[in-house]
Amino acid sequence: MKPEQIVEATLFASQTPLTAAEIARADDELTTAAVDEAITRLRETYESEERAFQIYELGDGFQILTRPEYASYLERFDSVPRSPFLSGAALETLAIVAYRQPIGRIEIEEVRGVGASSVLRTLTDWELVEVVGRGEGLGRPLLYGTTRTFLEHFGLRDLDELPSPDELPVVLSGLQVDEARDEES
Amino acid sequence: MTLATEPGASTTPRGRSPLEGVEPFLVELDRFQGPLDLLLHLIRSQDIDIFDIPIARITRQFQLAIAGGLDEMPLERAGEFLEMAASLIRIKAQLLLPRPEKLAWEEDPRAELVRRLLEYEHFQDVVHVLERAEAQRGRHFAKGYVADRPAPEGMRPELEVTLADLLEAASRIPEPPPPVLVRPPSKAVSVEEKVSLVRRLFEKTKRIAFERLFKPWGTRAHATAAFLAALELARQQILRIEQSKPFAPIWLFAGGWIATVGEPPEVELDAEPEQVVAAAERVGEP
Repeated sequence: MKPEQIVEATLFASQTPLTAAEIARADDELTTAAVDEAITRLRETYESEERAFQIYELGDGFQILTRPEYASYLERFDSVPRSPFLSGAALETLAIVAYRQPIGRIEIEEVRGVGASSVLRTLTDWELVEVVGRGEGLGRPLLYGTTRTFLEHFGLRDLDELPSPDELPVVLSGLQVDEARDEES
Repeated sequence: MTLATEPGASTTPRGRSPLEGVEPFLVELDRFQGPLDLLLHLIRSQDIDIFDIPIARITRQFQLAIAGGLDEMPLERAGEFLEMAASLIRIKAQLLLPRPEKLAWEEDPRAELVRRLLEYEHFQDVVHVLERAEAQRGRHFAKGYVADRPAPEGMRPELEVTLADLLEAASRIPEPPPPVLVRPPSKAVSVEEKVSLVRRLFEKTKRIAFERLFKPWGTRAHATAAFLAALELARQQILRIEQSKPFAPIWLFAGGWIATVGEPPEVELDAEPEQVVAAAERVGEP
């Protein structure tokens, strides 16, 4: 049996992303490096054969998903419940956590200008953020970071796929702003 | 929904400057995440230079925008908007103070607000990135997306029950039995017990307060047994019962005649009147 076929069978049968290590458990001979290699070859095969699906990297896992151009066809079917689109408050909070992690609730609230405790509770419940440590300050505040589920929800391989802060339209590197920030800290 | 109109909008001639906010602007507070979001909207929708915010005008517009919506907001959210209104007014006041012609940027009372607005706007860009990523991810479907095919007929038995069947079945359920009141068995109190108690007490004293025979137990059974014991012993001429008047304390005296209720017997005192007075005086002492 070729590693490619074992990897393909494993990915085919899974409904959630699997890491290379998880896939490697399928066979004693299989190493994670061999899994990575097999996935690369499978991707090339699917690409050249114009298959309707592809192996996508979500977080540190791999999953077979349909290609986006088939969405309109699949949307006609009754579906199992899918994760809903997030609210503005949730997205704002996630944006701040993603770029400033590890970050405490107070710092998130300072950026947003509104309270963040209930939205943080929801995001924690949905496992989109998690407590990653405690700060040094008064009361040793909880510090939050994004999770693997966060990457999966947004279809990201890792956080580096998000634009770096100075690639964003509003760049926070203007002379005046830097001075204002230095003054504060 | 708040329709906020610039004061004097009707008198300001049209076409002066878009920056004067001649057009009434429509603000739906629910749409905004918070005060920074609203403020940013006011600034960006009027093409205001964020590094030179006309604080007086923006403050007025901000106040108008939130005026109608505050009552319907949860207290905490309303507080967040009010806090921003307050700091806008503070900045406005600081700008009115006399100051040197040319100010360093960090000395501008607006600097901190501008920093916060830019930081907020920066994260709005991240929000848009995330929104696009989320929408993009939503176009990929995983295995198991298409709902399970319904099970073939015959695999699931039809529900063949009518309402009448259901009611009939319900009526067959037996009525719950009436609750049985269970009284915990109280320990039987015998008259003999009280008789021997009276005898023991008479060895130490000539006079027993009747309630001493049942008060410590506090139950009606003890009072009844004590009463019967007292009557029995009185019949046997072992004690006499005395009560000065109805509902007065009952006393049992060793020895044998029966006092008639309501007629206080002559109490023979062994003490001289002077001794009684002296004893009475001592009572007040600690």
